[in-house]
Amino acid sequence: MSTVPLQHEPQPPLPPEQALPEGSARRRAPERQRNILLRIRDHWADYLYIAPALLVMVVVIGYPLVYTVYLSFFETPPRGGRNFNGIDNYTTILTSERFWMVTRNTFNWTIFSTLFAFLLGFGAALVIQREFIGRGIVRGILLIPWVISLVAAAYVWRWLYHSDYGLIGGMLQEWGVTQERFVFLDSTRWVMPSLIVANVWKEFPFVMIMLLAGLQTVPDQLMRAARVDGANSWNQFIHVTVPHLKNVIVITILLLFVANLNSFGLIWIMTGGGPAYASQIWIVEIYTLAFRSLRFGLASAFSVILFLFMLSIGYFYVRAMTSGDRERGHA
Amino acid sequence: MSVQPGQTQAEPRRAPKRRKRPFRTDQLLGWVFLAFLLAYAVIPMLWMLSTSLKTQFGALQQPPRWIPENPTLAQYRLLLSPFNDVGRDFLRYLLNSLWVSTATTVLGVLVAVPAAYAFSRFRFPGRNALFFTVLVRNMFPLVVFLIPLFILMKNLHLVNTHWSLIITYLTFGLPLSIWLLKGFYDNIPPQLEQAARIDGASRFQAFWLIVMPLSSPGIIATAIYAFIQAWNEYVYATTFLTDDRLLTLPVGLQRFFAEYSTNWPGLMAASFIMSVPVVVMFLLLQKYFVRALTEGAVKS
Repeated sequence: MSTVPLQHEPQPPLPPEQALPEGSARRRAPERQRNILLRIRDHWADYLYIAPALLVMVVVIGYPLVYTVYLSFFETPPRGGRNFNGIDNYTTILTSERFWMVTRNTFNWTIFSTLFAFLLGFGAALVIQREFIGRGIVRGILLIPWVISLVAAAYVWRWLYHSDYGLIGGMLQEWGVTQERFVFLDSTRWVMPSLIVANVWKEFPFVMIMLLAGLQTVPDQLMRAARVDGANSWNQFIHVTVPHLKNVIVITILLLFVANLNSFGLIWIMTGGGPAYASQIWIVEIYTLAFRSLRFGLASAFSVILFLFMLSIGYFYVRAMTSGDRERGHA
Repeated sequence: MSVQPGQTQAEPRRAPKRRKRPFRTDQLLGWVFLAFLLAYAVIPMLWMLSTSLKTQFGALQQPPRWIPENPTLAQYRLLLSPFNDVGRDFLRYLLNSLWVSTATTVLGVLVAVPAAYAFSRFRFPGRNALFFTVLVRNMFPLVVFLIPLFILMKNLHLVNTHWSLIITYLTFGLPLSIWLLKGFYDNIPPQLEQAARIDGASRFQAFWLIVMPLSSPGIIATAIYAFIQAWNEYVYATTFLTDDRLLTLPVGLQRFFAEYSTNWPGLMAASFIMSVPVVVMFLLLQKYFVRALTEGAVKS
């Protein structure tokens, strides 16, 4: 956590320094650099409000983070106890062939899910944004996949894809698209695309709601001005809407990306990583290592690798989130 | 998105003739796209409902039928009646889920409200950390927390209790709840409270009488979000609970599947019952939720 840059405070509205007479500007500097302990002492009562939140978060988030890193340097026999074994866990993982196969699956899953969920969701937001009769109902219906339980969703899709009695395979055969029964989840070639379709179904409403919220902040005058200047809808979209939504778009894509990298339930219930590990992704692999093979040390090392990967994404995330502040600061 | 470059150029020419709504291909494509989206969103849900009304034999019929031949509520009657084993289990899971979700929501609001208020109003060192906690929470893989939390819960003798789940859900929901609520408090002018305090109200009274009522839509939205998250959560529930009597619905559903794997109508009926409360709740209150996102997450 300490790697996250903390210096950009999105500021209490200080009067611009140049406007102040020289003397007061100089007096202000030491004021700002005053001992952090003194500042904390001055504000001690404020912390009472956040104390309960802080307490649970330290216990439930802080402690596990530290403990995982610690555990990753140990060999943990299933029967209990632990032996320090340095970076053995890490080398075991990184040199195994399986790791690279699972990595490829993870990237396919994450990138394509994110891409399609984003495109569909953005399209949905643009369509829903117009005024039409029944708009509220349509929006509600489109949000349902996002709201229902992942487990229920996973079972419905599993049933839709069922190799003998599934709706989709049956319909394809009925309409003469395929002669044979099309196999979705039991085929190493089609399992990933099928899972991605189910995942996009679950996620696109999230993109829609985020971008819908963003679209409401695009000023009408801006759109009207663009239209007066002769912009067609496409130009309006590219030159007015997209730049205005830049921050929301970046945040949404990153949240999606991370959610997909972390997603577990859908794959676990629909295929369990199979067939023949064709749908095994990092998280499923880690879960299997920890709670099926009971190799907590190895699983922790794997988690740390994932964690470091996330951290590097987190870096871009922070940059994206704060770039807006910086721009606004200059404007 | 669905615009063809050629089409829109015709617009200026047509505009003077039919001022109100010139027919445009991009709008038509928009409707087609919307129809596709609706089908994509709804078909799995309808298939769930349709299957749940079939007999076990009817569900396996080929080619698949949308309208069940002999629709029956047998599965719903089985699941919701306390007089047989399946129903007793299912109702117990339902109550477990209800208890865990409600406790998480209530505690979550009690903890998040003062924290969000403080983050919005006070300038104490470290207040920017909130933003990064939201980030960290969203950033880090679930399993990073899963393994050590499991060990922690075991050491605290909380494995196989609902409290392990309530504490976990509460914590993981907090950063986002606080962030969303803070957006609402930021939009309530502090002058309102100052006026109340000049009139002799204490800080707490000003908060309770002025700020709370104004921020209630935000609190409702946050509470719903927390409830839905807890209701649907699966990974922690399946890891922390092994006692059959304690399972929550998502895990219970999985157990049903293991036991009656060929009873698709039963499974679909259970999924349907499980989805109804959250969908209804969300549809009734989606207005607040969209507003919370707009004001909290997007603008700030």
